[in-house]
Amino acid sequence: MYRTVAKQLLRGARSRVSGTDVRLRFPNPHSTISRRTFSPSPTPHNSGEIPIPRVYVDLPNSSESTASPSSSSSAGSSSTASSAEEGRRHTRERPRGEYQDEQARVLQSALRHVLTLGWTEDAMMAGARDVGVSPSIVGSFPRKDAALVEYFMDDCLEKLIDRIDSGLEFSNLSPSGRISKLIRIRLELQAPYISKWPQALSIQAHPLNFPTSFKQRAALIDEIWHASGDDGHDIDWYVKRTVLGGIYSTTEIYMLTDSSPEFRDTWAFLDDRVRDAFDLKKTIQEVLSLQHIWQKLLVLEWGTRFKDLSRKFFNGEAYWGHLS
Amino acid sequence: MIVKLSLIILGSSFTGDNFVSTTISGFKEVREEDKSQLVGNVFTNVASNYDLMNDLMSGGLHRLWKERLVSKLNPFPGMKHLDVAGGTGDVAFRILETVNSETEIYVCDINPNMLNVGKKRAVERGETKSLIWAEGDAEALDFPDNSMDGYTIAFGIRNVTHIEKALVEAHRVLKRGGRFLCLELSHVDVPLLKQVYDYYSFSIIPAVGELVAGDRESYQYLVESIRRFPPQDKFALMIADAGFQKVEYENLVAGVVAIHSGLKL
Repeated sequence: MYRTVAKQLLRGARSRVSGTDVRLRFPNPHSTISRRTFSPSPTPHNSGEIPIPRVYVDLPNSSESTASPSSSSSAGSSSTASSAEEGRRHTRERPRGEYQDEQARVLQSALRHVLTLGWTEDAMMAGARDVGVSPSIVGSFPRKDAALVEYFMDDCLEKLIDRIDSGLEFSNLSPSGRISKLIRIRLELQAPYISKWPQALSIQAHPLNFPTSFKQRAALIDEIWHASGDDGHDIDWYVKRTVLGGIYSTTEIYMLTDSSPEFRDTWAFLDDRVRDAFDLKKTIQEVLSLQHIWQKLLVLEWGTRFKDLSRKFFNGEAYWGHLS
Repeated sequence: MIVKLSLIILGSSFTGDNFVSTTISGFKEVREEDKSQLVGNVFTNVASNYDLMNDLMSGGLHRLWKERLVSKLNPFPGMKHLDVAGGTGDVAFRILETVNSETEIYVCDINPNMLNVGKKRAVERGETKSLIWAEGDAEALDFPDNSMDGYTIAFGIRNVTHIEKALVEAHRVLKRGGRFLCLELSHVDVPLLKQVYDYYSFSIIPAVGELVAGDRESYQYLVESIRRFPPQDKFALMIADAGFQKVEYENLVAGVVAIHSGLKL
């Protein structure tokens, strides 16, 4: 179930790349998910079991969805744009993709410029030029630098999921070993960008961007936890994810200043942290399991003492104790 | 002859032996050929006082609106930009300031008087290299296909006779990835503010026009044309019909002004 939730967030995030409808003068922190073309008879509220299909409908008679009433004007107009487009399709040389795809393509090619230009609009404009699109398109992203970083985070999560799905050597590893391996795989995905990663982190920490980055990280932690297969019911769900989130973040930051070959020190650091967390878990488990034994002991102890005292008192032993 | 219809909608009627299409100009019915001339006359009259009147009518807010438009446009060095109906050059100058280097900004306007005011201002500011002043009609632009990175029209589209044609032209001249931005006076729906705004529009603005510019008629026309312009959602649909994607709008001052944007792909 968590896998499908993660995938849904990714789909939602992709379509949310720039689908905001700003009706007020002040920017809205939340964005509306502009729905793309659906296959016939869509279910507007996803049950959570079935992932939202990622549909690139190129059928000439594709039925356009009427967006939900709260959806933005862009959804309504994109449907009319597509219907107008259909009439002109035969006159165009190349098929016109949905704007989200074009934006994703721009962001993908912008990643190639990040090492030289950083996580900036300049990288995005260079990416746009590579794809053959006017750099003006960068203006259509609502939070420009953040859009690039968020796209990268989503991309990494997808790659992680793909790697998990394609099978990993897990059988001989303990739970702590599995978690270590998963975090290592994920961090290795961002290793090529490590020189510019501090900038990405500061972009993610910005108040405007923080809600989205938090959601992305939560999905990532969820995915790692789910894939490690640890289904213990001993500690709280939130505690598990907080602890894992802490391990991931500290390792990520450690990696920024690690200059050892192939980040060996970082992986050693990671293993230590995971081991600490599992030791802590064991300690807490022991404490909790001993709790009822402690309770019984205390009751016994004090119960006995109380009995003695009362016997002494009623038999006069309190006064004449030395005579018993 | 002005022909009155019972329903105030776009339609056609005939006088005598020929069909005459009518359009809306303010609250008066006029023939289509006459509308552009009427608009032309209005702007010939207001050109010299245009900037001053803008300041007075909007309380200086129009500067902020134009700045918001330019920041939404997100101009970049080396871009080719077209500002339509931008006679006095307000938007063009702001783009130049933002970019701060060589670009090509075409300022197109149907009215030569407005362009002259703009050219004078450019000379005063010492901006002569990047600006190109062109007289032209928004419905039939003189620029090649796929040539512009950006297209803006600030407070101009409601004066166009066939808005759809102007939108199609905008779509034509933009490159792939180019953006269309339209800043226009729009509809206020917020209950109390609406009444205040109506009172201000119909009672105060023509009076100020008379006082400052000596021209009540033109400003009466202005205020009426705002009311006749399609509301935000309808205009967004029109933009989408012209072929733009990701059509959005942003209301400023609760709808007194709206910035519509679209992306060409």
